[in-house]
Amino acid sequence: MKNITNSFEYFSPKTLEEALKLVSQFDKEGKDFKVVAGGQSINLVMKQGVIAPEAVISIKGLSDMDYVKFDEKAGLKIGALATHRAIERSSVVEKKFGVLAEMEHNLSSVETRNWGTVAGNICHGDPGGDVAPVLIVLNANVKMAGVKGERTVPAEDFTLDFYETALAHDELVTEIQIPTVPPNTGVAYTKFSQVVGDFALASVAVAITLDSKKDICSDVRIGLGSVAATPLRAKKAEEILRGKKITDDLLAKAAQAAMDESDPTDSVDASGEYKRELVGVFVKRVGKEALERAKKA
Amino acid sequence: METKYSVIGKPTGNVDGMAKTTGEGKYTFDMYLPNMLYGKHVRSPYPHAKIISIDASEALKLPGVKAVITGKDVPGGKWGLWRRFRELCDQIALADDKVRFIGEPVAAVAATTKDIAAKAVELVKVEYEILPGVFDPLEAIKDDAPLIHEDFENNINATRHIEWGNVDEGFKQADYVREDKFTLFPQAVVSMEVHNSLASYDKGTGKLTIWSSTQSPYYLQLGLADALKMREGDIRVIKPHVGGGYGGKNSTMPDATTAALLSMKTGRPVKVVFNREEEFTTTEHRMGLHLAIKIGLKKDGTILARECKIITDGGAYTGLGATALYLAGIFQTFPYKIPNWRYDAFRTYTNKVWATSVRGFGAVPTVYAAEVQLDRAAKEMGIDPLAIRRKNLMEPGYEAPGQYKVESCGIVPCVDKMAERIKEKWPKLEKDEGIGYAGFAYMSGGIFNWIDTPYAYSGARVQVNIDGSVDLFTQAADIGQGHNTVAVMICAEELGIGIEDIRLHPGDTATAPVDLGAWGSRETLMNGNAIKMAAGQVKQKLVDLARAKLGENIAYDLVCREKRIYLELRPERGYSYYEMVEAAIKLNDGEPLIGTGHYTPHNKGMISPAYGMGIMAMKAKVDRETGLVEAKDVLIVHDCGQVINPLGARGQVEGSVHMGLGYALTEEMPNDNGLVLNPSINDYKIIRQRDMPQIELLDVPTYDPSGPFGAKEAAEATISPTAPALANAVFDACGAEFDSNCLKPERVLKAIREAEKNQKNKAKAKK
Amino acid sequence: MKQELKFKVNGEERELWIDPKTLLVEVLREELGLTGTHWSCDTGACCCCTVNVDGMAVKSCSMLAMQAYGREVTTIEGLADGPTLHPLQQAFIDNWAFQCGFCTSGQIMAANALLNENPSPTREQIQLQLDGHICRCTGYNMIQEAIQDAAKRLQKSKV
Repeated sequence: MKNITNSFEYFSPKTLEEALKLVSQFDKEGKDFKVVAGGQSINLVMKQGVIAPEAVISIKGLSDMDYVKFDEKAGLKIGALATHRAIERSSVVEKKFGVLAEMEHNLSSVETRNWGTVAGNICHGDPGGDVAPVLIVLNANVKMAGVKGERTVPAEDFTLDFYETALAHDELVTEIQIPTVPPNTGVAYTKFSQVVGDFALASVAVAITLDSKKDICSDVRIGLGSVAATPLRAKKAEEILRGKKITDDLLAKAAQAAMDESDPTDSVDASGEYKRELVGVFVKRVGKEALERAKKA
Repeated sequence: METKYSVIGKPTGNVDGMAKTTGEGKYTFDMYLPNMLYGKHVRSPYPHAKIISIDASEALKLPGVKAVITGKDVPGGKWGLWRRFRELCDQIALADDKVRFIGEPVAAVAATTKDIAAKAVELVKVEYEILPGVFDPLEAIKDDAPLIHEDFENNINATRHIEWGNVDEGFKQADYVREDKFTLFPQAVVSMEVHNSLASYDKGTGKLTIWSSTQSPYYLQLGLADALKMREGDIRVIKPHVGGGYGGKNSTMPDATTAALLSMKTGRPVKVVFNREEEFTTTEHRMGLHLAIKIGLKKDGTILARECKIITDGGAYTGLGATALYLAGIFQTFPYKIPNWRYDAFRTYTNKVWATSVRGFGAVPTVYAAEVQLDRAAKEMGIDPLAIRRKNLMEPGYEAPGQYKVESCGIVPCVDKMAERIKEKWPKLEKDEGIGYAGFAYMSGGIFNWIDTPYAYSGARVQVNIDGSVDLFTQAADIGQGHNTVAVMICAEELGIGIEDIRLHPGDTATAPVDLGAWGSRETLMNGNAIKMAAGQVKQKLVDLARAKLGENIAYDLVCREKRIYLELRPERGYSYYEMVEAAIKLNDGEPLIGTGHYTPHNKGMISPAYGMGIMAMKAKVDRETGLVEAKDVLIVHDCGQVINPLGARGQVEGSVHMGLGYALTEEMPNDNGLVLNPSINDYKIIRQRDMPQIELLDVPTYDPSGPFGAKEAAEATISPTAPALANAVFDACGAEFDSNCLKPERVLKAIREAEKNQKNKAKAKK
Repeated sequence: MKQELKFKVNGEERELWIDPKTLLVEVLREELGLTGTHWSCDTGACCCCTVNVDGMAVKSCSMLAMQAYGREVTTIEGLADGPTLHPLQQAFIDNWAFQCGFCTSGQIMAANALLNENPSPTREQIQLQLDGHICRCTGYNMIQEAIQDAAKRLQKSKV
């Protein structure tokens, strides 16, 4: 069986400050290190020998950052150590951000969700990750900290390329912030995979906000997963819907635009061409679902 | 149903339950010996290459490395399962002249830890001269194709011709003839316990003990004897609990030979455990093949003739692939009367890991083609798919000239029961839903003796001790199918005692009589007969003694039941079992009561003594926009003779359908010039909990005279109808036709569009 | 360099020195001899190696053992009460919920975590909890039935 064959020094800081100090020190020393939260992705990469760090900093013990908090003004705050399972089972998430819980139900296995963190998932930078498209349409921000201070980037700008993120070497993600969902908004998400719970062939998240008469689409966000080098926001597709009354025809046009915006590649499971078709199908279906939800919101 | 049996036929919990639910039961995987070394293979990165040199000096310098071996260190020669035809014994422990597939072992290291072993493997330098490879069977047979084994012209490893009746005449008389072509993809085995072995060589006696995850301790003993140039008897194979086999653990594989060779070299116990990637890329799988099939029918749906040609992608070695070739041509005819049948098959060598026996062994790909074609024919002829099947079913006593005779045969009542049940079960379909049918049958162990064993096919020994407890010895292999439970149930029934009276000693070649192992659904019938015979010998002694004590007329029958031995017609006249055992041993000069049993089928044709059979219906739903197919519900009517353990039989049916659904929907092994592209459980998709439909299983009981208490094959057959039933359901739902298995969404979507186009063209033509 | 790992396994305090790269499954099987926890897919995709960490179902192949520091781990060996099987174990036997048994420890430990938080799960909830568990033998249905049976037994035993 495959284990991790290379040895590394192991650090388990007790506070964020301690962790940041380590990160900054190792970065300065040019040490090859890796920060591990739940390690559900990183341990696999280490087993495969893709990375062989000299040091591993486990932040799993930073229990101060293991929280899911909500208030109407600030919105939802997901601490860096909050697990997928915490999101899935949070009553406030279910009530206010139901789509997040729906997404979590089909993310890998309960075992992964119990130990893996939401922040860790996005830090892995996998374009097929389940979390990012939903964060994108929920207008989330990712807060990061380094010894020099804090900064925040929108979730849609967080992933830069295949397994590459905006997080600098000497920084840690500390929080994911999701603003309160505006009134008259519906959010929906679908991951399409061959077997349930599997990696996505394509995933689509849509958030639609209707005007006060619940007639015109005043705002819309469309997030796509697995169909480009990064999770994607389909802005051209959004443009087609924004400010209009959403009809099946209009959704079909938006779907076409989203297909054009996506840039999927062939994989063992499916051709890029087919994945692009999936984008079209699911922008329509998920868009319709989001619209229905917005009408009921 | 009223039954005269007190043990068999009753739902019985698994006798290995305690071991397997508490973690106490040991698999080879769980075994560690003191002073044990870890063995690991150096594997070829090329599909076809000459080995120029191997330099292990750097590896040997690494502290903790105790040995490195190459092909030159292998004392024995080639081995294989087709021992009747030595030229087909083509496996080798470590490649010595050339490699024939990516991942073939060329050397192996033994080290004190697994990490050191892994590092040492990286340090072994192998120089290759790359040879052109061949990866498709149709390319392999070309005259200019590179030869994989020099003695096999055009890379043809095995051929098979089966024919009866007059096929050409049959087609001439047919009102309707159609031909179809298919390509069936290989299916990986994916046992949850990987191949692994632990060998311990005794330098003093020169004898070897090996614990291994195997389906057949005897086959492993034979393979090792050839590879190590040792006597079989000097090799003791012990089979602990086995974490799944499904056909993939019949061959002797390098985990065993290398563990043994390294233990012999180092004088220390050595364990070799494959990792999952090695499992996917270097162990055996179900054959892929190209197939052409032609059927001729009368207007009323009667099949007059069928012809099938296949060419299989055999891979680098033989395994049980040559057997699969035979069974593919036999079980494609079941459960129907095919008066005129011709089958021509070729198995080619290719530069890939090789194909062998896998659950439903041989039958799965060819049954797919036959059952799918039958639905296409039925649709064009305007006949109901179940009715066309009903028209052609075998009956008891049906014979295929020179090949097989079917004794018990409940397929007609199975199909009638299906027709009735289906009306209640699925009275109405939703949009985009369809129902598909497929018939099935499989053997109760094979007859043709390719292994060339001089021993009986199955043996058992029963020893009854003074307190009535029983020790039952047999090499029969429980690899998860539940045979240990079946074995003690049969023994208990015969002796009229409870399963708690029996201690089973399975799977040890040093203590138990030979059995050929768990493949082809053979254990219940073959080992069951041997056990029944062994227990029967002891029973006879007890009955004789009781009769003498009772002073009864010889014409009066005595029975052993409920731990008593008594007159069948006057149950109050008799003795307790325990009393008789004690008396018999005392009378026997203190020797425990020993019974031995053995079974070899005679006068049962070439294939099998008995056949389980039945019919499956599958309800499926298609998403016309994405091509995603959902298997919604399954109904099976099965004739498997006298069921020994209904729980076990159901479990096997569920498992067969699960693996069959994988074959139908998600499992394939795409390959690029010899490289397996999806060698992990992430990328090789296995059906999970939420994708698995419920299965309703109805039983049509029969009695087969060849089986113990009338038992025969159960459940393995139900894998082969699963994929065609699903494809037929999709065909029913939307008219989409498939020329392969693995109906993944992209393929389905393409087929739906093709079907829509054809329908439009047809409509146009009509106008 | 080895580091100290202190944690509780099946109710017992354990202290050992390990190479920090060691996975929890390796510590359990190779250091502590708890071989009932199996290991199968190498890629965190089969859940064969599931144990309970602080009551949660977690894959021991995908977790650094050091992360168990100060926590409580329960393996399949810790489930039975002496010679008396846990209702889940008995229900798995009585319902033929395993065949080869290799994935069974993981299935049972995941079910254990489920029943501890939801004493009478629906079939859908069981499927959701156990969806990551690959079984090549059973087709899952009989596992789901066993877990529902175990839930009933547990509730009875509590009355």
